[in-house]
Amino acid sequence: MKLTNVFRNLFSADNTFVFIILLPIVLLIAIFIYYPAVDTFQTSLTNENLRIRRPPKFIGADNYVKLVEDDEFWEVTGRSFVVVGLTLPLELAVAFSIAMLLNQRFPGRGMMRTLTILPWMLPPVVNGFLWGWLLNGEYGALNGLLYQFGLIDEYQYWLRAPETQILWVAVVQTWTRYAFPTIILLAGLQGIPDDLYDAAKVDGSNAWSRVRYITFPLLLPSFGIALVVEFIAAFQIFDVVWTLTAGGSAGGAINPFTKTLMLYNYELVFRDLRVGLGAAFSYIVLVMSLAVGLIFVLRVYNQGVHDK
Amino acid sequence: MNLGLRAQERLRLTFIYICCAIVLIWALAPIYWVAVSSISTRQELYAAPYKIWFPTQPTLDSYRTIFSTGAKFRSGGFSPTAELMSSGLRNSVIISVASSTIVTILATGAGYVFARMNFRGKNFIFLLIMLMLPLPIWVSLIALFFLMSELELVDTLVGIILIFVTLLLPLSVWMMTTFVRDIPGEIQDAARVDGAGRWRLVYSIILPLARPGMVAVFLVAMLWSWNNFLIPLIFSRSNDSQPLTIVLTLFIGQYEVAWEDMSAAAVVTMLPPFIMALFFQRYLVRGLTMGAVK
Repeated sequence: MKLTNVFRNLFSADNTFVFIILLPIVLLIAIFIYYPAVDTFQTSLTNENLRIRRPPKFIGADNYVKLVEDDEFWEVTGRSFVVVGLTLPLELAVAFSIAMLLNQRFPGRGMMRTLTILPWMLPPVVNGFLWGWLLNGEYGALNGLLYQFGLIDEYQYWLRAPETQILWVAVVQTWTRYAFPTIILLAGLQGIPDDLYDAAKVDGSNAWSRVRYITFPLLLPSFGIALVVEFIAAFQIFDVVWTLTAGGSAGGAINPFTKTLMLYNYELVFRDLRVGLGAAFSYIVLVMSLAVGLIFVLRVYNQGVHDK
Repeated sequence: MNLGLRAQERLRLTFIYICCAIVLIWALAPIYWVAVSSISTRQELYAAPYKIWFPTQPTLDSYRTIFSTGAKFRSGGFSPTAELMSSGLRNSVIISVASSTIVTILATGAGYVFARMNFRGKNFIFLLIMLMLPLPIWVSLIALFFLMSELELVDTLVGIILIFVTLLLPLSVWMMTTFVRDIPGEIQDAARVDGAGRWRLVYSIILPLARPGMVAVFLVAMLWSWNNFLIPLIFSRSNDSQPLTIVLTLFIGQYEVAWEDMSAAAVVTMLPPFIMALFFQRYLVRGLTMGAVK
């Protein structure tokens, strides 16, 4: 090929068009995402700490070793898995029930669907605040409601005990996110042909076995998508905890009982200014998220294949 | 017992509506309570142990308070709450409208390029954009903070808008690419034969056809950037750039416990997403589920 042709191709109208359109996008992503990601990794290999005035020194994998040997690291990681372990079953149960309901035919279904999805669209920080106020120990609405129905004798401080704090974090996360799995499962339900149920009815199977042997197996792929997305959402929970139980908004210490991975990362970098350590931590979280995401996908799909 | 068909249907509907009521209480009660709190008088709001579920003297005083007088500090002095609220509202509006507009323009161009053109490196660039989706944001955030300090973009609207646009790119580009792909190609081919250039083609043929897709991208971007909290938490320092989500958390931490005022601030913060969710839900759901649902 002649050189002039190469140039003509390179600067052809189409190539110029593509170049102008994609240049800002590629620049933004390179500058704001990939360059910092590489930079963060380099930082994770240094002992950079903004509290101590010293030039950062290369220390290899020491930060990673330090984190893995640190008790607080395992506490925080364990706590995040507790949040995930409480949230996912609760959330999927809520979502599945609501999806089954919305899959029925009844007047007002569209309106019902619109209202059901609302909480998902609100700012998660506001959701944390809403529930914090609802659960308030002195004037909270939950207390008032339970008292009026005679279920409690006196107002309770729902967010006082450390174990219940985690539980409520899971409940509020469920409230914030259940709409997404509901939509996914509803779409899955609507994709199941009615003939299957009719055939099963003719064969004399009851409602429960129809759900067990038709609905569940056919919904497995939908459950798979919902599980992966919601796992990542719960694993990286931040906003909801911040306003519900973190208690760290005015520069105070972050509540240790609900300190999950992302809050710990924030604390390491922006409160304690241990930048190198925080950078290493963020890479460990990256590996954990990707690994668990993959495991979930593979497991759910394998089960779907073998059970049939 | 053999029920008639109509009675059976009535029983079924009764059961369904009871379930609906339970679901609605679960979904809406927290929202209802914060709305009631924001229009209750102090006396009624703090009534205990019997709560007042419907305010007898609804009042907008709390809204007036947060936008005019300023709330009490814990230590007793007054703080410029009004300033915080109005600057927060202003910043939220500027940030979300600007980010959404920019990302819609960028994504529309990219959507056309990825869906309709062939060039070297196309798959690579597309992958580069989409790989951002599963990437936990902290990996970039830490170094990004120092980069932004060097560029003097910390605590500026421009800085936050640039980050928002970048973070919105994968979802928006993906949405526009699938949307443009679904526009029939014959019309474009005819225009190409007539000798229209790429710019002309995009402007007069793709843009009008892609408008529903662009609206969806814009709305999803609006909702996402209005609701975002983590980015301004790290990159905002003062009311030069703090949006409402941040202002709300400042209220919770800083001021004497005045739940009626905080409720009013929460209502103001969630009102735009609430309205969007009521009226544009179809667009939002399609975008936010990444096409998992049509």
